Amino acid sequence: MKNYSQISGEISEFSDLPFWKKADVVDLVYVGYGLLIVALVVVSYVLGSFNLLPRDPQDIDLQLMMAPPGTAGRLLGTDFMGRDMLSRLIVGIQAYFLPGLLAILIALCFGTGLGVLAGYRGEKLDTGITYFTNLVDSFPRLVLILLVIAAFKPDIYYIMLVVGLTNVPVVSSLIKGKIQFLKQKNFIEADIALGVPTKTIILKHILWHHCRSLLIIQATLGMAEAILMETSLSYLGFGVQEPTPSWGNMVQSGANYFMQGKFWPSTAPALAILFTILGFHLLGDGLNNILEGKRST
Amino acid sequence: MTTAPILKIEDLRTYFYSRSKQAFIRSVDGVSLEITKGETLGVVGESGSGKSITALSILGLISAGPGVVSGKIGFKSDRIQKNLLQDLGDFVKLTTRDGKIMEVSKDVVGWERNAERVMSKVRGKEIAMTFQNPKSSLNPFTSVGKQITEAIRLHTSMKTEQEAKERALTWLDRVKIDSPRLRFDNYPYGLSGGMCQRAMIAMALASEPSFLIADEPTTGLDATIQSKIVDLLVELKSELGITTMLISHDISIISRLSDSVAVMYGGTVFEYGPAKHILSTGFESKHPYTSALLASIPSEQNIREKGYLQAIEGDVLDTINIPEGCRFYSRCNRVTGKIREKCARQEPDLREIGSGHKVRCWLYFD
Amino acid sequence: MKLSAIRPIALVLSRELVVTVLLLLGVSFVVFIILFASPGDPFSVLLEGQLSTAEAKAGVREAMGVPRSWYIQYLAWLAGMLSGNFGTSIRMGLPVLPEVLRVGLSTLILTIGSLIITLLIAVPIALYSAVRGTNKISWPLTMSSYVISALPVFWLGYIVIYFFTHKLGLFPIAFGFSSAGQKYRWLYQLLPIFVLGVGNGTISEVIRYLRQEMGRVMAEDYIRTARAKGASVWKHAFKEGLLIPVTEIIASKIPFILGGAVIVEQVFNWPGMGRMAWQAAQDRDYPVIMGIAILAAVFVRMGSLFQSVVYVAVNPRASKE
Repeated sequence: MKNYSQISGEISEFSDLPFWKKADVVDLVYVGYGLLIVALVVVSYVLGSFNLLPRDPQDIDLQLMMAPPGTAGRLLGTDFMGRDMLSRLIVGIQAYFLPGLLAILIALCFGTGLGVLAGYRGEKLDTGITYFTNLVDSFPRLVLILLVIAAFKPDIYYIMLVVGLTNVPVVSSLIKGKIQFLKQKNFIEADIALGVPTKTIILKHILWHHCRSLLIIQATLGMAEAILMETSLSYLGFGVQEPTPSWGNMVQSGANYFMQGKFWPSTAPALAILFTILGFHLLGDGLNNILEGKRST
Repeated sequence: MTTAPILKIEDLRTYFYSRSKQAFIRSVDGVSLEITKGETLGVVGESGSGKSITALSILGLISAGPGVVSGKIGFKSDRIQKNLLQDLGDFVKLTTRDGKIMEVSKDVVGWERNAERVMSKVRGKEIAMTFQNPKSSLNPFTSVGKQITEAIRLHTSMKTEQEAKERALTWLDRVKIDSPRLRFDNYPYGLSGGMCQRAMIAMALASEPSFLIADEPTTGLDATIQSKIVDLLVELKSELGITTMLISHDISIISRLSDSVAVMYGGTVFEYGPAKHILSTGFESKHPYTSALLASIPSEQNIREKGYLQAIEGDVLDTINIPEGCRFYSRCNRVTGKIREKCARQEPDLREIGSGHKVRCWLYFD
Repeated sequence: MKLSAIRPIALVLSRELVVTVLLLLGVSFVVFIILFASPGDPFSVLLEGQLSTAEAKAGVREAMGVPRSWYIQYLAWLAGMLSGNFGTSIRMGLPVLPEVLRVGLSTLILTIGSLIITLLIAVPIALYSAVRGTNKISWPLTMSSYVISALPVFWLGYIVIYFFTHKLGLFPIAFGFSSAGQKYRWLYQLLPIFVLGVGNGTISEVIRYLRQEMGRVMAEDYIRTARAKGASVWKHAFKEGLLIPVTEIIASKIPFILGGAVIVEQVFNWPGMGRMAWQAAQDRDYPVIMGIAILAAVFVRMGSLFQSVVYVAVNPRASKE
């Protein structure tokens, strides 16, 4: 049953409504949840950096192994060595947060630079960028990273460098596309005709006004990918090593216990990964729908 | 008219909903029309008047919500007879306030299922339709010939590929497409706009329907091609005598092909009657809109008389904000003091003023 | 398809083939640069490994004393690869190419199988949502796909293994060689395919893309015409709305799936190139990891080529573009 109703009287003009009235409820929920996750991540990162943790993440307590959440003041229980799960999860964020930011920064900076060049000037650059994009897309990211690990060393910053670089083509083609769109609509021509200096056109008019939503969304997707990469790599044993916690290696070390029916040591970090990546994905999608005026459903 | 109507539309309403304005777009707001067997009804009006939506409503091709909300479409052919909107009331609940529908509650999925059941025996077989934009209205992934044979095999007694192909070729020839055998295997992108329109006409007629709806068959085509298509339609009309509903905003094609004319504006029918009455120049009892429309046609006579192109003042009706009273009131140049109150406050109904001529205007009733 | 149609298709395909070759060359170059820039000087290892006898190796060492320009090294290495010589695995001492191809086949099975699973889940949901829009069936499904796409595939693997072994009581060891055991062993082989198919993280995107494309096609004029003439809408919408988008999305997701395969092969100890890559990364076994990187890229480009073939075969205008 679909219900449609019209209120009597004057019919309002849509674009005057503030965005939270215009947007689909679902998208607002997505963005809300996503922002919550981002807040948690940032707060945890800060806490972790200053070591403001509930307990020492390395503190082994054999009396309290695999305790369920709530036991003896351990908010999220303990792992198989009695270490506080919550503290370990918080510290685990250290493993991907800064490196993830690096990856995002690289992708956005170089991607924007390249995209602006291609969109503003080059028709010839276009083929080059397409080739470059297809080239980068030919590699599974993880395999490429393993190659880099074999050739260099399993340093998370090297790895994030690779992740960032492999995202450059995507960002640059999005920016280029936006610029071509603006060119079509004669915005840029008008600016030039009015004598606006090129730097202003690019920085203020194009990037800030038209591309910022795109860039924010790419940033959220970039962080989601960084988390995925870092956790996968540390799961495989290439990242942070025990006893330093990383969500990936936490799941791995809990594997045996999982098979014995003791799920929590593996499941807690796995759920952390799940909810965090989900948060960034939903944030990106929700923002995309709201800012582009689409509907997610 | 002693012959029974083949199609009788009664008080059809098709609404859409604008989420951004939180209001209904009343594209078809109470349309009643009748077409008798063998007759060609020309439906003329500006864009936005609801003519295409009316046609789509007949065939149940409205997909946006809420769609058809009320009305009756009686259809009678040699083979079947039914109300194409039967049981609509079971799926729709309307709430009116101040005489206007303000709330619609519709079981969209249920109605679609019901409509599919009813229309599946009608579409293509009894009623066929051709569309504007012939190039985009044909499947770009299939050859033109295959699309015609599909229609033939679905709706006529020719079920084999071979028979159907022969019949399709005959039709391609009949619509004056050169080298039919070659064109049969062409894809729509390889055909010009005019040829695609001819192919669509062939496709529609090849399934031997009782009723043809032609929606803007010449719009978007080059002027020279336009007249050729009209020539073709005139020929087919005299050859086949098929009952037709011709929709166009181009009065010249309406005048060449129609037996009766319906003038639509703002979602309703303003005037309806025999073509020779409605389309003749000179005043006679005609709706002010119709007169103004005819006067605005750039023709030699008009320009000689006036010396300039005559447009109709004002803007086309906004089908969201429909005013009280006559829909044409704000643009009408024939309002008199006597009827001004009525024109502003009350919408006239469509009334017969003699020999099958109906008008919706206070000027003509007392 | 008519004979007259084949020639332009062949032209388009040869163009695609040329592009593929160019891309693979680019791939080899990227791999080369990474190895070249490596502090561990993998090239001496590689080039040595490509020679069979000790004397030849000694000879190379001598010749290698003089630093050769990078493009000569690249060409020599490329020539070696094109003649099938991918060097010898440091760890195993076996020639790389045949080994990598062997495990590559295994991973290929895993990849294709999991793509089928992903499609089996995604296509019905996407089509249903395209036709019915959001309702109380499609929305929870879409939401679940988001959640499933975010969960770590290795954890999913654990859950599936646990369920299979404990709840169904089917331990791999107990399979033995009885006919019943064989059946369960075979079933157990399917688990990684299932896990990768569900957990590769692309399901929500696939659903979204397919639904968007089908929705777009459904709104096209020619579908309206099909409906008006009483023809089957699905038949008309299939090519543009389902076939082409499916091939497009799976071609673009193959790299992702291969990455997931690395993890899934770890979880299930599946003898594929993912597991071999992991081992090679641990051992700094350059020839092996290089061979796998290149083979992976070849798989991806094959997928892309397949998608082009389908597109050209289906779209009559493609040969003109």
